[in-house]
Amino acid sequence: MSQVQQTEPTLEVLAPLESGVEAVQGRTPWQLFYTRFKRDRIALFAAGVVLLLIALALLAPAFARFVVHRGPNDLNQGYTSDISVPLLGPSKIAWFGVDALGRDIFIRTLYGARTSLLIAILATGISIVVGIALGLMAGFVGGKLDTFISRLIDIVLSLPLLLLAIGIGAARIVRGQTLSLREREFVEAARATGYGNIHIMFREILPNMVASIIVVATLLIPQNILFEAALSFLAVGVPAGTPSWGGMLSDATNGALYRIAWWMLFFPGMFLVMTTLAFNLLGDGLRDALDPRAGR
Amino acid sequence: MRGGTIREESPEFGWTDAFDPTGEYLGTAWGMMDQLLIRGLMTYKHVDAAQGGDTPVPDIASAPPTVSADGLTYDFTLKDNVMWSPPLSRAVTADDFLYAFQRINDKKLVAQYGNYYCGVIKGMDCAAKDDNQPISGIKVTDPTHISFTLDQPTGDLLYRLSMPATKAVPVEVRGCFPNPGDYGVDLISSGPYMILGQDKLNLSSCSTIKPISGYNVDKGMTMVRNPNWSAATDDTRAAYADGVQIKINSNVDDSFNALENGDLDVVQGTPPVAVLQDFETNPDFAGWLHADQGDRTWYVTMNLLAPPFDDIHVRNAVNLALDKAGIRKAYGGDLRGTLATSVEPPTVLPQSTQINPFSANTGSGNATAAMDEMKMSRYDTNHNGVCDDGPVCQNILFLGRSTDPWPNMNQVAVASLKPILPGLDLKEVDTSTGYTTLQQVKKLIPISMVPGWGKDYASPYGFDFFIFDSAGIACTAAVNYSLVGMTEAQATECGVKPEYDAYVQNNGPMPSVDDKMKECVAKPADQVDACFAELDTYLMTVAVPWAPWLWATQFTSTNLKTVVSYQFDQNAGIISYVNTSVNNGLTPQNVA
Repeated sequence: MSQVQQTEPTLEVLAPLESGVEAVQGRTPWQLFYTRFKRDRIALFAAGVVLLLIALALLAPAFARFVVHRGPNDLNQGYTSDISVPLLGPSKIAWFGVDALGRDIFIRTLYGARTSLLIAILATGISIVVGIALGLMAGFVGGKLDTFISRLIDIVLSLPLLLLAIGIGAARIVRGQTLSLREREFVEAARATGYGNIHIMFREILPNMVASIIVVATLLIPQNILFEAALSFLAVGVPAGTPSWGGMLSDATNGALYRIAWWMLFFPGMFLVMTTLAFNLLGDGLRDALDPRAGR
Repeated sequence: MRGGTIREESPEFGWTDAFDPTGEYLGTAWGMMDQLLIRGLMTYKHVDAAQGGDTPVPDIASAPPTVSADGLTYDFTLKDNVMWSPPLSRAVTADDFLYAFQRINDKKLVAQYGNYYCGVIKGMDCAAKDDNQPISGIKVTDPTHISFTLDQPTGDLLYRLSMPATKAVPVEVRGCFPNPGDYGVDLISSGPYMILGQDKLNLSSCSTIKPISGYNVDKGMTMVRNPNWSAATDDTRAAYADGVQIKINSNVDDSFNALENGDLDVVQGTPPVAVLQDFETNPDFAGWLHADQGDRTWYVTMNLLAPPFDDIHVRNAVNLALDKAGIRKAYGGDLRGTLATSVEPPTVLPQSTQINPFSANTGSGNATAAMDEMKMSRYDTNHNGVCDDGPVCQNILFLGRSTDPWPNMNQVAVASLKPILPGLDLKEVDTSTGYTTLQQVKKLIPISMVPGWGKDYASPYGFDFFIFDSAGIACTAAVNYSLVGMTEAQATECGVKPEYDAYVQNNGPMPSVDDKMKECVAKPADQVDACFAELDTYLMTVAVPWAPWLWATQFTSTNLKTVVSYQFDQNAGIISYVNTSVNNGLTPQNVA
C-alpha cells in the first residue's frame, strides 16, 4: 500500500450551491499545489525565466549556427587592439560585444548557460541521491548508524565549502524528516501489514518527503551554479576553453579588462545573477505551494 | 642625482635557493646580488645591450686576466682596497674567492649551475665532502693573486666567472652554513649596498650569526648603503640612491595603482592590460613603460619520444602552423618582443635572425604549408594534412599555463594548430606545476607552451647547454624537456626505454648536440658564435625540439615623476638599481 501523507487538509469548502447545501470536493495534493503555485506571480515569473534560460541553453548551437554564425570558441583577433583589448562592444555585429580574443560574448553566454545548468543539475542530482541515501538510513535505522552518519555530516559541514558539503546538507534535512515520519501511523500500519524496512523506507517514507526534496533541490541548483562559477573564476572549474559564466567573469577581471570592456563583466554577471535569483524565487514559491505552513 | 630610495613591489621573490649565491638560479636574484650586494672578479656594466651590458668587465680584478698560450691558465690580480661591509670591515682577498669555489664544489650545497666549473676547473667535481677541501686548479699565491687552471680550453670562462656563485664569500663564515640556501639570510656585502641590519651581525662564531633584520622572504628586503664601499674601486655601479626597498605584494593591480599614485617608483613585470593601455595611450604616462631586450625565448616544446611528435614532419608542421603573432598579441602586443625564428635570442647569438627554416610561416601561421608538411607524416594515413592515425592523434595533451594572460595565449596557439592536430587537448596548470610536470621525464608530456628560457650568461653556451645537452636530462628534474640527445642509459634509468626504442626504430639515432656543444665551447672566443650558429641550425632543421615564438622583452614600469634616470641591466634582465636615480628624497624603511 502506498500512501501519501497529507500535510494540508484535502478538503476545501467550495462556493455554496443554489440549494444552500455546501458541497465538499476532494483534491489531490498536487492539485492543491498547482492551485497555490499559480497564484504566486513571482514564482511563476521565476519559473518562466528558468524555462527561458533552459530553452536558450538548449538552443545555443542553433543560435551559433543560424543566427550569429560563429561558435563560442571562434577567435577573431581583428576585433581587438594590438594589446588584445576588446574593441567591439555590444553592437549589431556582436550583441554582447567581444572578449580579449574577439570571441562573441553572446554566444559564449548561451553556451555558458549550458555549462552552468548542466553542472548544477548534475551536481544537485548527485547531492540529492547521496542526501536521500544517508538521511534515510540515519533517520530510519537510528542508533549507532545514526550517530555515525550524523557525526560524519557534522564533520563534513565543518569543512570549508566543498561540493561534498552541499550533498551532506540535503542528508541532514532528509534525516530530520525521516525521524518524524517513521513514528507516524501509516508507517505503523505498513509494518503491521508485514512490509519490510526497505519497502517502508522507499515506498512509505520517501514519497512523503517529495515536496521537501523538490524544494531542497530547487534551492541547491543556484548554490551549485554559483559554486561552479566560483571554481571556474578561480580557474579550477571546467576544462580550458569551455565557456562558463565564472570563466567569463575571470576573463573580465584578468588584466583589469572590465575597466575598459564593461560588457565582458556585465553580461555573464547579469545572467549569473538572473539565474540564481530565478531559481531561488522558484524554490521559495515551490516551498510555499507544497508546504504553506513551512516558515521561510 | 644622488639620494632617495628606490621603492618597488613584487608579487614574490621566487628564489630557487633562498638567495644563497652558491645555489641560487633565479635571474632576478643574480641581478640583485651582482648589482647591489656582492662583487666578483668579473661583472657587467649594469647597463642595456646597446651600451655593452652583456659583456663581462673586471670588477675586483684590477684588469682582465692573463691567459696562457694554451688557454688553460687564467691569472687574476685583485684590487687591494675593496672592503667587506661592517661588521667585517676588511679587504676582500683571493682567499675569499677560493672559498666561493670551495662552496660550489661542496656536494651538500648543491650549486645549481656547478657544471660551469666542475669538470672545467682542474680538481673541481662538485662532490667535495664540505666547503674546506682544496681545489688543485685554483692557486692563491698572495691576498691579491689567484689563478685558475682548466682541464680544457673554455672560450667563455670570463662569463662564467661573472656569475654570482663565483663572487667572494668571506672565509669567516666557512662551515657556518652547511645546508643549501642557508647563507641567503646572512649574505655579507662587498657591494655598494648591504641588507639593512647586516652591520649588527655577530660574526664571532657560527652560532652567533642570526638572520639579518632587513630581509624576510614573505615581506620584503631593504638595502641601505654599505659605508665601506668606495666608488673609486667600482667602475660599473653609480649607486645613486641611498637605498632600495622591495616589498612583497601579491596584488599586482594594487602595485600598479601605487605606482600611478606615486607611492612606488618601480614595478617590474607585465602590467594589467588596462594599465598597459593607459601607458600606451595616456600622455600623462608617456615613457613610464620600458621594454628592454630580455635575452630569453618563449617556445612550444615537443617531446621527441611522445607520438605523434616523434615524427619530425609533425614537429615541422607545428612550426609552420603556429600563430606566433596572435600569441604575442594576446601576450601584450609588439612591445613584448620579436617573433622568434630560432632558439637563441639575437642578443645572445646575432646569427639567430639568419636561422629561419620555417620562413613559410611569416608569423601568423601558415596552415597550408603546415598541412603539406603533415601529409608526409606517418601519422597522416590518408595524406590530407591532418593527424588522423587513431589514438595517437586523439587527446594529445597540450600543457599550458593557467595564469593571466596565458589562457588566452593558449587558446590562440591551440586554434592555430587544430587544422593539423585536431586532437589537441588543452590542460592548464599554474606555472610551478607546469614546470614540475615537464621535468618528470616519465610523464612524456607531448607538447607544451609552459616553458620559457633565458640565458645564464650572454654567450650561446650559457643559453643552449642545459636546455639541449643530454646533461639537462635528469629523470625527475629535466630541463631538456624535448629530450634531445637522450642516451639509451638515460632512457632506461628514467623508465622510457620502450618509447626510446620505438623512436630509434622509426627514425634512427636520437638527434644530439652534445659533441657539437663540446666542440663549440672549446673554440677561441672569436669563433664561438659561428660554431653555435651551426649548432642552432642543426637544432632547427634536424632535431626540431621547439617551435620558438618570441624573443621576449622585459617590462619595467617606472614613475617618471620620481625616477629621474632609468637604466636596464642587460645581463641580469632587470632594472639597473645601481644606475637608476630617483628624486623622492626618502630614507630607506624596513619593509621586512
